[in-house]
Amino acid sequence: MATRELDDMLQSGLDQAVDLMAVAAHNSFRFGGTNTVKIICVGKEEMTNIAEFCYSMGDMSPLAARDGRFMMELVKEPCALLVLGDKRKSDFNYDCGACGYRSCGEMNRAECVEALTANGPSCQFKNMNVNIAADAAAAMAWRLGLHCRVFSTLGMAAFALKVIDGVDFAVAVCVSVAKKDPFFDRHQFWTDEYWDEIFKKEFPTYTRGFIGAVEDEG
Amino acid sequence: MAREASMKQFEEDRKEATRIAAQLLLASGTTSPRVGGVGETTIHIIDDECAIEELCQTMERMAEENKRWGFFKRDAVILRDADAVLIVTSLRCLSDPGDFNCNLCGKLTCEYKRQAERLPDEPGIAFHGPLCVFRANNVGYAIDSMVALARNLGIDYGVYWSAGAAAMRMRIVPKSTGFALAVAISATEKSPFRDIPKKYDEINEATMNDRIIKRLWPQFRSIYS
Repeated sequence: MATRELDDMLQSGLDQAVDLMAVAAHNSFRFGGTNTVKIICVGKEEMTNIAEFCYSMGDMSPLAARDGRFMMELVKEPCALLVLGDKRKSDFNYDCGACGYRSCGEMNRAECVEALTANGPSCQFKNMNVNIAADAAAAMAWRLGLHCRVFSTLGMAAFALKVIDGVDFAVAVCVSVAKKDPFFDRHQFWTDEYWDEIFKKEFPTYTRGFIGAVEDEG
Repeated sequence: MAREASMKQFEEDRKEATRIAAQLLLASGTTSPRVGGVGETTIHIIDDECAIEELCQTMERMAEENKRWGFFKRDAVILRDADAVLIVTSLRCLSDPGDFNCNLCGKLTCEYKRQAERLPDEPGIAFHGPLCVFRANNVGYAIDSMVALARNLGIDYGVYWSAGAAAMRMRIVPKSTGFALAVAISATEKSPFRDIPKKYDEINEATMNDRIIKRLWPQFRSIYS
C-alpha cells in the first residue's frame, strides 16, 4: 500500500470537510421554508485579495485591518473560506417591522442604498437565514475538529470585491487545519510595549485612578 | 394500579428530560458566535404549562392585529403541545448599533441609524425597527446552536418568530429587547412541530377531542344506552 503524506491527507480532509460544511449550511433550518442562501468556497488567490482589501481598510475599520492582517498569515497553511450570502428583499410577507418599514412590500419598494459592506435595507429574516446557515457550517466544522471562526469582515470584503455575486450581503466562515488554532489569542501581531500603549490610550482612566485627580501627562 | 403509577412516572421523567434539555440548549445558544464579541443575547426558558398557555393566548390575540399574521393562531396551537419554549433575545439591536457602519439596515452609518425614527408601539407591529441588523443577527447564531444540539440530543424542536414577538408584547423578556425569536422543544413520540395539516388552528388534537370524545361520545352514550 502506497504511503500518503500528512500534508496530502490534511488538504484532502479539509476539502471534504468544507463540502460537508456546505451541506450542513444548505440543509440548516430557515425561515420561509425555501433555501435561498448562496454558498461558495473561495480559493487561496481570492482569500489573498480579500485579506489585502481588509488590510487596506485600516483607517476606516481597525477590525477589518486586524482580520486582513491575520488572513495574510492564515493562507500560508491549509485553510478554506466559505462565503454565504443572500438577497436583501423579503419574500416572507411577515410584516414584522424589524427593518423599520410597516410591511414587507414597503421595504421591498424602498430605495436600495448601496455600500461597500452590504446593500440595504435588508430583511431581518433573510439575515437570520444566512447567519443560521453560517452557524450550521461552523457547527459542522466544530464537530469535525477543525479550527473555525465566523467573520463578518471577510464576508463584507468578499461582497465588496464581488467574489460572491448576486447577493446583497454576505458572511464568511473560515476553517483551518494549522498546527495551532490560528483564530484566537492572536498575540503575535503586537509587542508588549505596543499593547500597553494602545491600552493606555483606549482606557486612560484605568491607570489614572479617580477621574480628574491626576493632571494629563501631556 | 402499578401500570398507572409507572405511566405517571414516565410522564414526569419525560418532562424532566425536556427541562434538562432546555438548560443544555440554553448553554449551547449562549456560547454560539457573537458578532463584535459583545454580550447582548439572553435566553429565557418557559417550561411552566400556564406560562406557555399565556404566551399562546397572546399569540392568538396578535393574530387579529395584522392580516399577515393569521399563522400566529396555528403556531399557538403547536406551542400548546410543546414541553418548553426558549426565547432568544437581542438586547442591543434597538438602541446600541454595533458601530460597524455595515449598511445592512440601509442607513449607511450607525449614526444615521440612531437618528432614524422607529416604528411606533402599536398593534400590528411586532418589532420596532429599524433595528441594528448586525446585532440582531446574533439571534440567528444562537438559534442554530440550539437547533444543532436539539438534533444531537434527539429532542423535537421548532423555531417560531410569532412566539418571540408575543414574549416581547407580554414584556417577559428584558426591557431593552429589540428582537426575539423562540425555539420550542418537545419529547413526545410524535413531534408536535412536524406534519402540520391545513386549518390546524381549527382542526387539531384538542378540538377533535373536544368535539368527538367530549361532545359526541356522551350524546351517543345517552341515546344508545
